[in-house]
Amino acid sequence: MSERLRIALTKGRLQDKSVELFEDMGLDCAPVRSPGRRLIHALPNYPLDVVLAKAPDVITYVEHGVCDLGVVGKDTILEKGGAFYEVLDLGFGRCRFALAVKKGSDFYGTYKTRRIASKYPNVTRAFFEGKGMDVDIIKIEGSVELAPILDLADGIVDIVETGATLKENGLEPIEDVAQVSARLIVNTASMKLYKNEITDFLSRVERELEGRA
Amino acid sequence: MNIHINTPEGTRDRLFSECLERRQVQSALVKLFRLRGYTEVITPEVEFYDLFVQSGNPIPQESMLKIIDRSGKIMVMRPDCTAPIARVAATKLKNLVLPQRLYYDQTVFRSGQAHQGGSSEIAQCGVEMIGAVGEKADLEMVAMAVDALRTCGLRQFHIELGHAGFYRALAGRMKMPQDELERLRTAIEGKNFALLNDLLEPYRGEAAYAALRRLPYLFGGVEVLDEAETLAGQCDSLGYLRRLYGELSAAGYGDCVRFDLGLVHQLDYYTGMVFRGYAEGAGAPVLSGGRYDGLMEQFGRKAEATGFAVDVDAVGACLTVETPKLETVIHYGPGLLSQALAVVDSRPAGSCELSPCRTLDSTVNLAREKGAARVLLLDSEGERWMTV
Repeated sequence: MSERLRIALTKGRLQDKSVELFEDMGLDCAPVRSPGRRLIHALPNYPLDVVLAKAPDVITYVEHGVCDLGVVGKDTILEKGGAFYEVLDLGFGRCRFALAVKKGSDFYGTYKTRRIASKYPNVTRAFFEGKGMDVDIIKIEGSVELAPILDLADGIVDIVETGATLKENGLEPIEDVAQVSARLIVNTASMKLYKNEITDFLSRVERELEGRA
Repeated sequence: MNIHINTPEGTRDRLFSECLERRQVQSALVKLFRLRGYTEVITPEVEFYDLFVQSGNPIPQESMLKIIDRSGKIMVMRPDCTAPIARVAATKLKNLVLPQRLYYDQTVFRSGQAHQGGSSEIAQCGVEMIGAVGEKADLEMVAMAVDALRTCGLRQFHIELGHAGFYRALAGRMKMPQDELERLRTAIEGKNFALLNDLLEPYRGEAAYAALRRLPYLFGGVEVLDEAETLAGQCDSLGYLRRLYGELSAAGYGDCVRFDLGLVHQLDYYTGMVFRGYAEGAGAPVLSGGRYDGLMEQFGRKAEATGFAVDVDAVGACLTVETPKLETVIHYGPGLLSQALAVVDSRPAGSCELSPCRTLDSTVNLAREKGAARVLLLDSEGERWMTV
């Protein structure tokens, strides 16, 4: 008996890219494209149900096993962590975590404890711990670029795509912290219990990704 | 005074069916353990922090619930049952003839992250076999793991076997620096194929390259062992698993046993066979165990050890347990207590209870409010049934 798998997609850009990927694989994603009021979208030509969620919630759903699979950015995985299998790099949603400072400032040239503003305190802590550096980390919810401009922080750790926002605000990236892209994650028990269904889906995705490369 | 009406995060009141589930699983497991010759050990809920650091089983510091005692020593709420039992076996039981078969039925405490829906109190039932090594000891353990999940009432489940020696053998063939090997192990444990490929790319020519690359995929039926052998050649651990499987199949356990050669967690702790149990309906393993021959030595007595623990509530949540429904309320007259109790005791638990009311009218009202179907009136004229 074949089980229907359930996948959680991160709303927004990763959702669009995932739907594109699935359609290129031959999956009919019409129910996801015109969702209406429904929250669970059953694909008509493949045993897969799709739910849409915010990035950290994708991890929560997969960790608890209410979704078997999930598509989520490496940025969220690095920040939130959790117990699941991270099986595929989907190749889209590429960007990087970078350390950025005010243009021209000498970040490392002082003995003063540096203060870093970030939406990603865990990523920031891990990065500086790896360097053996103690820093003060301030969690900022909105535009992190503001913190160094207002002299609240000496630098920021944030997602950088083109660097345009940083430049406009007189900041410059000085160091890469981590590379980010969309990942396909799998619940640990689902992988074992629905091995055939999941490996079928994974190999379809892999084939499509290889075709693209 | 402020009365706290909530329980701390990670704890909960368990009511009715949740208790029944837990007790049903516990009593089924305990019955099996005792049948197989295991005797119970109860260890303190609070132990010295150092005990768990000493054990070599890395429980993250932040997930232990700590208490500072009057002398300033750090204590923790027991985060694991195996280390305390190894402590007991290495000290108080050191003059007993080995092997010793011990079981426990107690709670472990682990503080998880806030707002993750996890519980800090985990009811565990498990066994330890101390001082027995080799195929027969491991066979007994795996067979009991299968029987344990079956006797709890699970229908769809399997036990997955791995072997710490397989990864060690492969890693030993690689000329890789230690920290990179650790990253490799993490990638295999997390089935992170992308990272694994990146890490292995520079080692393409090496002997174990192909096997390590496939390792996260090497889970499933016994055919996994064939594939592993093709990739890695003859290996003691693979031969060992194959022999175990042969014996298990002959004993009728074959259907419930699978393999995951990518089980490479806590490699400093596990020394041989490792296994986990998965059940339909549970999002995480419900049983976990293996062989840890180095553990006892940490407590001053060299002895091999193997065992497993069942996550009682995770198993309970997969079961459907009927909560008893009240059918009958008994209204009895003076001098008829013993007859009334005899009726209650003859019925299924929870289906019948005595009315504390003085008048029959109040009893009928009570029965109606509680949703009971009938009142049994016992008085000097005998017994009469009334429909509510």
